[in-house]
Amino acid sequence: MNVVVTPTMVGQVVISGILAGALYAMVALGLALIFGVMRVINIAHGPLLMLGAYTTYFLYAGLGLNPYLSVPVSMAVLFVIGAVLQRTLVFRVVDAPELSSLLLTFGISIALVNLAQLAFTSDLRAVEYLTGSWGLGPFAFSKTRVLAFVFAAGVTTLAFLLLQRTRLGRAIRATSQSREVAMVCGVNVGRIHTITFGLASALAAAGGALIAVVVAVQPEMGQVWTFKSFLVIVLGGAGNYPGALLGGVLLGLVEQIASLFLTSQLSEVVAYVLLVVVLLVRPTGLLGGRQT
Amino acid sequence: MTLAPRAFLTGLAVLAAALALYPIVGTGYGVRAMLQLFMWIALAGSWNLISGLTGYVSFGHVAFFGAGAYAGAILIAKAGWPWLPAALAGGAAACVLALVIGYPCLRLKGPYFAIAMLGLNEVLRALTSYFEGLTGGGSGLSLPTLHATVPIYYAMALAAAGVTLLTYLIITSRFGLRLMTIREDEVAAEAMGIDTARHKLYAFLLSAAGPGVVGALAARDQGYIEPISVFPLATTITMIVMALFGGKGTVWGPVLGAIVLFVSQEIVWARFPYVHQLLFGAIIAAVVLLMPRGVLGLLQTKYRLPRTL
Amino acid sequence: MTLKALGALIAATGVLVASLPAGAQGPIRIGASLSLTGTYAKLGNYMHEGYKLCAKELNARGGLLGRKVEFVVYDDQSMPATGVRLYEKLITEDKVEAVMGPYSSPITEAVVNVTEKYKKVAVSPLAATTSIFKRPPDKKRYYIFMIISPAEVYLEGLIDMAAKRGLKTVAILNEDTLFAKAAANGAAEIARKKGLQVVFQEGYPKGNQDFSAILTKIRAANPDVVAGSTYFDDAVAITRQMKELNLNPKMYGLTVGGDLPEFYTLLKQNAEYIYGATQWEKALPYPGNKEFNEAYTKEFGREPVYHSAAGYAGCQVYVEAVKRAGTLDADKVRDVLLKLEMKTAFGDYRVDQDGFQIAHKMVMTQWQDGKKVIVWPDELATGKPRYPMPAWNQR
Repeated sequence: MNVVVTPTMVGQVVISGILAGALYAMVALGLALIFGVMRVINIAHGPLLMLGAYTTYFLYAGLGLNPYLSVPVSMAVLFVIGAVLQRTLVFRVVDAPELSSLLLTFGISIALVNLAQLAFTSDLRAVEYLTGSWGLGPFAFSKTRVLAFVFAAGVTTLAFLLLQRTRLGRAIRATSQSREVAMVCGVNVGRIHTITFGLASALAAAGGALIAVVVAVQPEMGQVWTFKSFLVIVLGGAGNYPGALLGGVLLGLVEQIASLFLTSQLSEVVAYVLLVVVLLVRPTGLLGGRQT
Repeated sequence: MTLAPRAFLTGLAVLAAALALYPIVGTGYGVRAMLQLFMWIALAGSWNLISGLTGYVSFGHVAFFGAGAYAGAILIAKAGWPWLPAALAGGAAACVLALVIGYPCLRLKGPYFAIAMLGLNEVLRALTSYFEGLTGGGSGLSLPTLHATVPIYYAMALAAAGVTLLTYLIITSRFGLRLMTIREDEVAAEAMGIDTARHKLYAFLLSAAGPGVVGALAARDQGYIEPISVFPLATTITMIVMALFGGKGTVWGPVLGAIVLFVSQEIVWARFPYVHQLLFGAIIAAVVLLMPRGVLGLLQTKYRLPRTL
Repeated sequence: MTLKALGALIAATGVLVASLPAGAQGPIRIGASLSLTGTYAKLGNYMHEGYKLCAKELNARGGLLGRKVEFVVYDDQSMPATGVRLYEKLITEDKVEAVMGPYSSPITEAVVNVTEKYKKVAVSPLAATTSIFKRPPDKKRYYIFMIISPAEVYLEGLIDMAAKRGLKTVAILNEDTLFAKAAANGAAEIARKKGLQVVFQEGYPKGNQDFSAILTKIRAANPDVVAGSTYFDDAVAITRQMKELNLNPKMYGLTVGGDLPEFYTLLKQNAEYIYGATQWEKALPYPGNKEFNEAYTKEFGREPVYHSAAGYAGCQVYVEAVKRAGTLDADKVRDVLLKLEMKTAFGDYRVDQDGFQIAHKMVMTQWQDGKKVIVWPDELATGKPRYPMPAWNQR
């Protein structure tokens, strides 16, 4: 409304978009891992992120732990929760038609949110740890978002090193390429599934821990992240792990730039239209993934 | 229908008569609850037409409900249409939408189709918020006061019966057989000379009409709609779980599922508001894990009941 | 068969809930659906407590028309469609003799069709949207009454103070929902009337968490005043991100959110200087307000917010009208409510011919050293506003 967009403003939202994008990429990488290895679309991914945020909040409020130090703790806690979910429920829908996994994880998702409401109430919480920004010329770099970017980049790099360089990572990638071959090569596929789900939950938890410092923590904070992660992995190519990085940054930029030139409402539309177009033109994602 | 078809038809006729007379004896709430039940039967049955028969999981089917609701409500509020033609127009609007998005999207396979449908629903929700001149935007759309619960009850009942009859006709037809062939093996279906694209599109159109009509009826009955209340993912999930519980790909499965789940929801939600979502989550998990073929699916396997049940 | 069983089941549920016979000596049962779960759960529960306290105090003083009063409350899960069904249930199955309004404008807008149909007076303590009450003659509603000030005047105080200081420009952002948008449009309207220029106005979708782009645009418009029509978590996010982007208006005010105690707990010193609009404050010198605060805190173990007070006062207004009418008859109670002038712990009550509230006053608070100080209107103020808001990095 009557605001002329200047190059400085574009620069500012590009910065915001890239900073947000790294976080999207890290969280979505978890979803991509589960989908790649198990062909499960995990709608409970967002609520797992919410649990990670609460872990950080309680460590901060109860023990005064620095929220950035709590990132590994949240990840560890959610690794266990994720692994338990996999061993008790999700393992039964691996390889089932997508309908089963969509519904089951939706059920888990609303149950987790409800449990969080019962346990933590719907009151908003916040980790008021760091506010403000660092200035660089005309641009503002939000402190919490820069740190979130750094941590997300770090965690994502570690996750890639794990996937690329370790025996475990090779087993995960092998399982995602061909379960039968992996099995023949002596990979314990059930164990890989459990570890993958735990790892993916830990990535969501890291996202939760990092945004606990940015936005208010409440039981329903997670759902929007499930949708964002869908967008990211479709843009990047489901099952294509580096694609999640590209998808994350792309989503961050699209959201911000569309909000700048249009409105925040239309930025949602733009993001989803992009999703549908990418699905139609390149169903395997921009970097190419694997067809089911 | 091998099991005493005459007795079955008589039973249906008695049931229809009882339902037709119900508004005379029922309370306002009773009529409204039944009206909601009919709505769920129509929704679950419609989802079943595309997803139960062809195996293409529509994960954003509420989009058609919302499209019908807005089309109907706009015609009633802005153009002064009576509600009955507006409801039919709601169905038509949903079909047009299905045509536009079905043509490209039905080429997508498996989870990609599900995610695309989910995305389309979000697009629609955001667009209705944006075009506020027409839709009232986030403030919603308020319809003129009209007390027509009983006529809408009959219209809803007809919609539910229509969807169920349509399902029966499709399942017992060659068209239905072809759809199920696509579900079992699309490549083989193609090789057999079935025009899969065209068949899927027809099924998709038919599955959109019902939600469009009942969306407009629900909007009229409720008198006020807003984007967040007519496009929720939870509505899609509820219709899926209903169809799944009763038995997807069957005629009476969605009906049975809608009855059982709606009644239990009405009772549960009144008594245990704080754990409602938890219980619903548990029901979903139980249906998916313990009875993926649904009640009728189990019965069909066990007692060799006819496929056309 | 199953359907008949359903009918029986529904009837049975109704009977179970209606555990007490509604004889002349039984309690007067007042029905309401409230958002106990879902999006509005937090505020819906505060409102519920207001109703409960009102009934408790009333019963301690001998009840109404010689009978005890009892609330029958169901959860509408913050969804209009569920609310509609519940009011239908309350009125036709549970046969409650009276109803009170639900929480939030969208749900009231939907359920009022039911209460009007059965000619039930619905005093609606937390419906603030004008369009619910002000209707064209052929769509007029008769039995709904408003307690709180309308959404449109929430930010009047902020704009008024700005105009008196000679400020020229205002930027407005709002959540795109019924109430928040009405408040934003109302603020823009008042600003124009008072000679301020609205240099920016934009809505954002419910649940939005990232406001960088919208705030970047506001920064470019460089307004004297930033007004946010928010719910709560968005209020926190916007404030944090304003600081991050160094958006430094001279005045910054919010509708719902800025006034809640949690706002300060969450934001600490960053909440300083921020104005919040509220319908009620515990410090206000209204009759019975002190006693209400004490009784409420004792009963529920937490301090009331304005939603509690509005629920409490709405119930009192209805009860007073019934007492004066000497009957629960809707048309007679309606006549009393249309003429009634009353002061409660929540402030003044008087409505026009549409049941639209015209006497109740909004107040504007400002966070000063961790305390909420009432700074507007002058006759109710407990302190002077601190002006201007210093830059974020100079606190």
